[in-house]
Amino acid sequence: MGVFAHEYPNEAGIVRAALASSFVALLLGGVMGLIQALHRTGYVQVIDDSTYYTVLTLHGVSLAILFSIFFLVGFFQWAVTDSLDRPSEDIRFTKLWYALMVLGSIMAAVPILGGFIDQTEISADVLFTFYAPLEAHPLFYAGLAVFIIGTWLAGIDWFRSWWAWKQKNRGEKTPLRTFMVLTTMLMWYLASAGVAIAVIFFLLPWQLGLVGGVNPLLTRTLFWFFGHPVVYFWLMPVYMMWYVILPKLAGGRLFSDPLARIVFVLFLVLSVPTGIHHQYVDPGISEGFKFLAMTNTMFLLLPSLLTAFTVVASIEHGARQRGGSGYFRWLTDLPWNRPAFTGMALAALMFAAAGFSGMVNAGMNFNYLVHNTLWIVGHFHLTVGTAVALSFMASTYWFLPKITGHKVFSKRLGLVQVVVWFIGMVFMSNAMHRIGLAGEPRRTADPFYDGVTFETSLGTISELHAQIALGSVLLVVSLLLFAAHILLSWFNFADKDAPTPDTIPPALSGPEHAPAVLENFRLWTAIAIGLILLTYTLPIAAIVSGNGWFGPVTTFIGDTSSFLTGLFHAVFGVIP
Amino acid sequence: MSSGTEHEASPDTLDEPDDVWEVDIEKQIGHDEYDPVGTLSLITVYFLIIAFLWVFMYFVEFLGRGPTVV
Ligand code: HEM
Ligand SMILES: [Cu+2]
Repeated sequence: MGVFAHEYPNEAGIVRAALASSFVALLLGGVMGLIQALHRTGYVQVIDDSTYYTVLTLHGVSLAILFSIFFLVGFFQWAVTDSLDRPSEDIRFTKLWYALMVLGSIMAAVPILGGFIDQTEISADVLFTFYAPLEAHPLFYAGLAVFIIGTWLAGIDWFRSWWAWKQKNRGEKTPLRTFMVLTTMLMWYLASAGVAIAVIFFLLPWQLGLVGGVNPLLTRTLFWFFGHPVVYFWLMPVYMMWYVILPKLAGGRLFSDPLARIVFVLFLVLSVPTGIHHQYVDPGISEGFKFLAMTNTMFLLLPSLLTAFTVVASIEHGARQRGGSGYFRWLTDLPWNRPAFTGMALAALMFAAAGFSGMVNAGMNFNYLVHNTLWIVGHFHLTVGTAVALSFMASTYWFLPKITGHKVFSKRLGLVQVVVWFIGMVFMSNAMHRIGLAGEPRRTADPFYDGVTFETSLGTISELHAQIALGSVLLVVSLLLFAAHILLSWFNFADKDAPTPDTIPPALSGPEHAPAVLENFRLWTAIAIGLILLTYTLPIAAIVSGNGWFGPVTTFIGDTSSFLTGLFHAVFGVIP
Repeated sequence: MSSGTEHEASPDTLDEPDDVWEVDIEKQIGHDEYDPVGTLSLITVYFLIIAFLWVFMYFVEFLGRGPTVV
């Protein structure tokens, strides 16, 4: 097998384009992050308080939606083409979904950017959660819908390739990477249905004036139907990197291929019916439903714990093959001088720390302590902001040569970059957690209130604010290093030679040990749908019977809906 | 699948070689000889930290405050 870029030039072109889009969003979002961090801590205020939400929307949408998803579709395209060893069935279709994603991003970005321009009414200062009754220009919602449809088509593209491969390889196990892509995409179809319904049936008609109002609790619940599992859409590609690439970089082999498959199936089955854990303090959803969501969330710990074990064991295998020994001494026998390894390992370490703050978020009682405080922001800068973002950046050092056809500019620079990100995030995230415990809210330009002092247990609030500011500067320095490095590598300024083609070593316990039922995607999807219906039917029925599909406003469609609501009542007579 | 082993010298020494699999492996360890005690140790340490932090959060931060008004 040669270099991917030469074997599959068309596919490599799409992967490069997706990565380029992703990095543009990363840089833009990162600069917004710096503006926010310096603004709300009071150090440098280059914007008015009233523009803060425009900046924060741009930050959330660019990073949580565009950067992450563009990167992962590129990575998945590589994973599928490379592991099935066959080109796209129809490269025009591949180009189509990429083009739709770009179009959707531009449509959504225009109204967000409009928020910076006083002369226009167009804006979308609704943050990446777009809770009604906050209103954005219709183009924003339409853009999101087009973007998501692009990702759906991407999934279809990969299923087509797999199907064609299967015809030629009957009875063989799906290659691990493709298996991971397909389970992730099935999860994504289920998850994104929630936000698609919210956007297409409720928010867009409302902004276009077709219906008189919205039921904010309904669209919010639909958002979180998607909002929790979307984190697995970011994380599952990262798990793929940790399972497939990290052991190889450590000089080891994946501990168990079947275990990796089981983990992905568990994510498919369990990811969605948990979203209500973001709504523990929402009035209008009864405690029983919240408790159910909490229980499901705790079950979701299982695949993450399995991952922790498998990934660490695979890395340890590498260390031992390189001569490592002892209970902890083997840690020194890992290739810490390589940015791809070190970056991903540091990202995984951060993720372990996030496990703790996530446990606090997930508990119904603990949640009251931290809800809507900066603690939450601290938490997800460890997860999506580091476990995902740093893994993506670090893996690029290994991955880029495959799709450009020449080595990266300098591994030493890469090493500095990933370490600076890690240090920056230690400062920023740790301070955010502690400030949050003191009660300082998130999503505010100006957290200083007359007569209110935030009590911190150790150190003062202004010391912690300084740590946020310092951390954010380090993070942006790291981002700029990354951007410069990528440019230098992309255009091959150092005139590097082609990478030596490398292969991924087989797992210690191979796919032949995986039970055949794991390949039964229909079964797992059906179970996932069953669980979703069990967890969501009653809460949604209760929300709708309380306030209608479109809120209390009477409209033609609203009246029709009360008819449907009546049906719900008839079916679930128990609901008040 | 080929894996070239010749490398040209490069000024950035960290750049060579690309693949630790090609140079650094002292001995191959198969499934049956491998006993991941290091993993067990690390995960035990992690578990202890998490358990301690949980207890701290619950008894000090959570119970140590008055009731929340939400
Ligand atoms: C340069 C590095 C970064 C800095 C300095 C930074 C800073 C911040 C700050 C200060 C906030 C909180 C604002 C507030 O609640 O008032 C925030 C929110 C957020 N950040 Fe970051 N961040 C960075 C990178 C990232 C990355 C890499 C991601 C994801 C991939 C991310 C995702 C988010 C999200 C989703 C929010 C929440 C937005 C909202 O509340 O609507 N950030 N960031
Ligand atoms: Cu969640």
